[in-house]
Amino acid sequence: MGPDFHTTIRLERLESPLKRELKDLFGIDVDTCLECGKCSGGCSNGHVFDYTPRKIVQLVKLGAEETLMKMDALWICLSCQLCLDRCPSGIDIPRILDYLRGKARMKRIPARRPAIGLFHELMIEQIRKTGRVSEVGLMLRFKAATGEYMKDAGIGVKLFLKGKLNPFSPSVKNVEEVRRLYDSASKRTKT
Amino acid sequence: MTPMDIAYYPGCSLHGIAREYGRSAALVCRRLGIRLVEVEDWNCCGATAAHSLDRELALGLNARNLSIVNRMNLDRVTTPCAGCFSRMKGCSHELSNSKEMREGMEKRIGAPLAKLPEVSHLLQVMTESVGLKGLADAVVRPLKGLRLAAYYGCLLTRPRAIARFDDPEQPTSMDHILRAMGADTVRWSHKAECCGGAFAASQTDIVVDLGGQVLEAARQAGADALVVACPMCQVNLDTRQQAIEEARSVRYNLPVTYFTQLMGMAYGFSSRQMGLDRMLISPLPLLRRAGLD
Repeated sequence: MGPDFHTTIRLERLESPLKRELKDLFGIDVDTCLECGKCSGGCSNGHVFDYTPRKIVQLVKLGAEETLMKMDALWICLSCQLCLDRCPSGIDIPRILDYLRGKARMKRIPARRPAIGLFHELMIEQIRKTGRVSEVGLMLRFKAATGEYMKDAGIGVKLFLKGKLNPFSPSVKNVEEVRRLYDSASKRTKT
Repeated sequence: MTPMDIAYYPGCSLHGIAREYGRSAALVCRRLGIRLVEVEDWNCCGATAAHSLDRELALGLNARNLSIVNRMNLDRVTTPCAGCFSRMKGCSHELSNSKEMREGMEKRIGAPLAKLPEVSHLLQVMTESVGLKGLADAVVRPLKGLRLAAYYGCLLTRPRAIARFDDPEQPTSMDHILRAMGADTVRWSHKAECCGGAFAASQTDIVVDLGGQVLEAARQAGADALVVACPMCQVNLDTRQQAIEEARSVRYNLPVTYFTQLMGMAYGFSSRQMGLDRMLISPLPLLRRAGLD
């Protein structure tokens, strides 16, 4: 038998390593959540989230790390900062999600929205190579990886005719300085 | 007037899909006595991708750019992109709030970060450093007859503790500028809602949904065009407008222009110089109707 259905869960008495990590690493204290719901009410994409921001904060209290790392909202959060801006307690939800996304990535948990995960990966890979993002190069690589060549082809042609596509985006001269940031960042995250 | 030297961080889009934003900003700033000095050998701010996957990396990318501004002996850096602004200002905020973080980053990039340049969006430079009177004084061709929806999007004013610019719920800085140019701006509900820009290529349905809400709100408010201060907002609302129209069965035909392009029109530049012929939904018929082109 599982826990008694009628027993109240006292969130503040639950053990949540995730809650502690967020407090120690970033000073984010989810216990200050007033459960007012301004975050969920304002959330740009809350209407399509599986877990809305207020629920996400409660899941942190429950220590439900697996659920959080596998939820759809982790990938379709727009990082628009509205939940943080409206939170009376200043709980940095976008940052909690960044942290969880980074953690899911280290643990090789596949992104619930593969296209979004892939796009992010291709983008930071391009920055590692040239120090900057070339829209044309990034889009071609994204199309090659997804195989959806025809999607947006019409828009591509229109943009080309308007002279809005620049295939010769300059790169950073001292690109080694940029690459070094990647090495130290990944080393640091692993330790 | 002695020129005001400000470090200028264009960001990747300004060298790509948003070149007309960069060009119009440069011409308008020169007219106002602002000298934009491009940050030497700048790198990408990492955009949504870097902080989404690797926060350390996102901080490092922006710390390198800030350290270059220091080396150029400039105490202020501006960017026309709301995304770059948010990343750069956020980094500056974190570095100045945590000595430990700052020292770690100094070691990593090999440059001092104790003194950081002030980070401002280009709108902020216009309203705070030039001022509305100075902006209005340079007008030679008032934008009479244009009813505009100033659209600020998500990252320009949020979170307020970091952006420290304008009102995060009902921003007005761009409205004031456009009015100083002689245009009319509408009161509307979606000034600071998100257009979904980060997913423009990877998750089109979200962009069609959120962008559609923005366009619908602008239409209901009676706007002839949207005015933006971010290349992501522009590209998104312009290039996805046809898909939005198909999804909603509504014809919007709302041009989406950069605020600098319209300032340039008021300052007597031609629509070609301002790159207004480069938008997918052409603003030229609207400008012609108002006798501005």
